[in-house]
Amino acid sequence: MMKNINWSKYSKPIILAVFIIVLSILRPKAFLSLDNFSNVLWSVAVIGIMVSGSIFVYLVGGIDLSIATLCAFSAVVVVSITHLLGDTTAGVIVGVIAALIVGMIAGAVHGVVITTFKIPAFLVTFATQSIFLGLAMIFTNNKIISCTVPAFTAIGAFKILGFPLPVYFMAIIAVISWYVLSKTVYGRYVYAVGGNPEASEISGINVKLVTIVCYMISGLTTAIGGIVLASMTQQASSSTGAGYTNDVITAAVIGGVSLLGGEGTVSGAIFGAVLMGLLNNGLNLMSVPSTHAGLVKGLVIVVAVAFDALQHADQSRKKVKKVKKAAA
Amino acid sequence: MIRKCMTIALSAVMAMSLAACGGQPTTREDNGAPVAASSGGSSNKKRVDPYAGDPVKIAYIAHDIGTPNNQGWKEGIERECGSWSNIKIDSYGAEESAETQVQIMTDCINQGYNAIILQCSDGTALAPSVKQAEEAGIPVITVNLDCASSTVHSALVMAVDYDAGRMAADKMAEQMGESGEIAIIQGVPGLERTDNLEKGFRDTIAKYSNIKIVDAQSASFQKDTAMTVMNSFLQSYPDLKGVFAINDAMAEGAALAAQSANKKGQICIWGADGEKDALAMIESGDMAGTIYTNSWDEGSTAAKIALLMIGSEYDYTCLSSTPKVIMEPIVVTKENVGTISQEDRW
Repeated sequence: MMKNINWSKYSKPIILAVFIIVLSILRPKAFLSLDNFSNVLWSVAVIGIMVSGSIFVYLVGGIDLSIATLCAFSAVVVVSITHLLGDTTAGVIVGVIAALIVGMIAGAVHGVVITTFKIPAFLVTFATQSIFLGLAMIFTNNKIISCTVPAFTAIGAFKILGFPLPVYFMAIIAVISWYVLSKTVYGRYVYAVGGNPEASEISGINVKLVTIVCYMISGLTTAIGGIVLASMTQQASSSTGAGYTNDVITAAVIGGVSLLGGEGTVSGAIFGAVLMGLLNNGLNLMSVPSTHAGLVKGLVIVVAVAFDALQHADQSRKKVKKVKKAAA
Repeated sequence: MIRKCMTIALSAVMAMSLAACGGQPTTREDNGAPVAASSGGSSNKKRVDPYAGDPVKIAYIAHDIGTPNNQGWKEGIERECGSWSNIKIDSYGAEESAETQVQIMTDCINQGYNAIILQCSDGTALAPSVKQAEEAGIPVITVNLDCASSTVHSALVMAVDYDAGRMAADKMAEQMGESGEIAIIQGVPGLERTDNLEKGFRDTIAKYSNIKIVDAQSASFQKDTAMTVMNSFLQSYPDLKGVFAINDAMAEGAALAAQSANKKGQICIWGADGEKDALAMIESGDMAGTIYTNSWDEGSTAAKIALLMIGSEYDYTCLSSTPKVIMEPIVVTKENVGTISQEDRW
């Protein structure tokens, strides 16, 4: 019976469970509390939101290097519009909508340029990264703009049942993204385009449109991440979200998303984000000095990812055996 | 990896731009006026008088142009020189990379700037560039972060570091009734200024036998990271009474985390810098205090020295060690925060 269980399906939850058990034993008081879980999820919420959208880009074999600076620019847009409209709730609403539109337009531009001129996504988003940074600098005159309008700060800090709003945003966006990718025709097109663009083209999929929409989704979630991050820190500047490009890509890759396209799931990407959050939380709670934290973090990630990969390799080996048997 | 690729790409671009403007800067000598060479200084020194209408170009090279400190210095430099139309200020940001700063330094030396004001993010990496600039007759004034001390250059303008830690520690101890648990939020380890700040703080707190430093974690100078670190402190140390953050941005993050955990004002949170937002948070009771330095004043001081050096016959060869100007620190708490006027809030 046991042999028939597909362990590879459970390797990610097992890794998380091992983490939680180890930390619970080592730091029972500090770790095992609703507050702490809420903190961990809150600390990865922005990455979770962004990776739920940018996974579409990875699935079609693209990449988005502009995440951090688009995040900064959308944060700057929402905060400056709120200021322009006199720091009112209406201003916040208009600002949020404007930032979301900016994100989608940015994504659309990425998609159109990449598909029309056949330029590698790496180059296009590398260039736009610099453009968004420049725009954020010009809009803010390179200063930090703070914003303490209650309606705005609530986005990042208001709590329902002990969990702050960003955690719910992450959950909702991840579920929508999961639904689109696994339950809709569009989702299947995304995997098909990533797996084999030529074959998809021949079979009648509008590869160009599918790709453009992927970049728009990524732009949209990046903008949402930017709004949430600005609200959490109550400020926006050109350096808002610095380092998030790496964090988002890392979360996706840890979660088994292939940067070559066609492979990966939203649950995997969220797993990657939560694993990083738990790891950082664990290191903090264990008071690991920052000089050692990098080493420990790297080692744990390698071990966790190796364990996960081993399970999957096992699974595919079994499949090969089965096929060979059938052939014989 | 990606960062590495970008650095390589950037270096290539820089190399190309350098090749494009590789010509030697033309040396200008005043008719009849004694040039630096004749007064024993280096022969490369260009003698110009910024206050007599000679065209002057000053480069300001920041580690990360977007931070309030860097903006404060930049504005201070621009204010100081704003009244003279012949003085041109160019500001460069190095995107937090020492290698990029080295590249920009080389570029500025080749372009023949009259002086360079530098926030030296990595003392060892930048020391050769500083030396090269001084040898080319370009005075270098470092701000807050200095290059390796053996490299003598025109001046260092800095906020107090060790003493700022000491002052924060004493005032914090007083506010906490000289007992309780304290945690430290660190920046990036290895920077001389912030390491000294932390050392000053630790050495002073050691004198109070009932105060214990229970933890120290890095939040890389970032406000959002500091919120995460503060959350874990609140989990691990329910009796935490004080937090000292090495810069104000992190103290603000810690204060927001305390606010979100319904502990506003219950924890004595200190920063160091004195930026506008931190002062507002002290007023609202979210933060307990900070060590204020007037960044505008600091920038304008650096600019004054730059102009002095440009116009003088002296250069680094006249110096046996780098002269220092240390800015006045002010211990700010809720009681005296009102005395810092809006015009002095950067």
